[in-house]
Amino acid sequence: MKKEEINLEELYTKYRPVISFRVKKSLGVSNPDWEDIVNEIITNVIEKIKKGQFRGESSIGTFIYTITSRRIIDYIRRKSKILKYAPEPASYPEPSKHIENKERAELVARAIRKLKPKYREVLYFYYYKGLSREEVAQKLSITPHRVSERVNYSQKLLKELIKK
Amino acid sequence: MRKCKSEYLIDGYLLNRLDEEIKKKFEEHYFSCSYCFEKMAERDELISVIKNKGDMIFQDEYVVEVAKGATWFEKIASLLTPKQWALIPVSVALFLIVIFVFISYFRPAPPQFFINEDRVRGESITLISPVIDIKNVPPKFEWQKLDENVEYKIYIYNNGDQLWSTTTKENFIVLPEEIKKLMTLGDKYSWEVKAFSPEGTLISVSGKVHFKISRTE
Repeated sequence: MKKEEINLEELYTKYRPVISFRVKKSLGVSNPDWEDIVNEIITNVIEKIKKGQFRGESSIGTFIYTITSRRIIDYIRRKSKILKYAPEPASYPEPSKHIENKERAELVARAIRKLKPKYREVLYFYYYKGLSREEVAQKLSITPHRVSERVNYSQKLLKELIKK
Repeated sequence: MRKCKSEYLIDGYLLNRLDEEIKKKFEEHYFSCSYCFEKMAERDELISVIKNKGDMIFQDEYVVEVAKGATWFEKIASLLTPKQWALIPVSVALFLIVIFVFISYFRPAPPQFFINEDRVRGESITLISPVIDIKNVPPKFEWQKLDENVEYKIYIYNNGDQLWSTTTKENFIVLPEEIKKLMTLGDKYSWEVKAFSPEGTLISVSGKVHFKISRTE
């Protein structure tokens, strides 16, 4: 994406979920600050683009990634200093989002239970038990490649089940 | 949307199994790759649900896993503690020692046969003649020859009492006249032979053969 072609609205729509994901993964989903951090990052990105600080030498994705990573590191460093002297209060997600997540989680859980045993058991050992691909393969007497196939295919099946 | 060759890194990234360097590269990558980001978001949701609700979702799998359990070796191994397993060879060794001692003390003696106080092992002497009831006083008593340097002692009995005995290096004797005269019609007689080594050790014994004489010669 060249700097002249950047549509800020599209950029916002496309990169907000990516930035959110990265921030939540680094800070934890239950950290109430994640949304503020995401907003700060997006604001920072748009400002820099408007100021011409994106020269197109790298991709826009890399540009945004760099700003995101720096902001996360900043936050963690500041938080570490604060936490040294005071305990972090417990944080909870907003009620509406909590319910939405819960309903979605129930939906996914129900869909998993509808899968055939051979797909469920792969998910059980690989994700729930945390075994490696090779360990799962040994458990189920299949090849590691087949384990990956079943994990990927179960994802596809779940998508269809959830849609229904 | 075109597939991406970096897709295989998604699980490793979400499960924190990637090296730091690869992890950073992948993080940078999904900022530019819509395909990987979309796949990753879907996978992340799935993993999140499984981690939080796995107890409820995988009840059947848990039961099956417990039922299948360990390999047969692990099942057997888990029957006893390591200490108990270590005691087994010791116990087996002690048991074998006890059995061995028991057998040594109480083993039945090898088959033996004895005549009067004599006890002899080895092959017996076969008596050749006389071995059945006869009409005349036998002029000669003959038996199986053993080795060359053997001395034989013959015993003749009349109704259990010793009538006569002699020694010879041959495997027969000719009955002396005076002994013939002692043998009467109708009486029961028996005889046997013993073999001795040159040193005088009893080495073989025959069985006792019985015979009757019909009339004198």
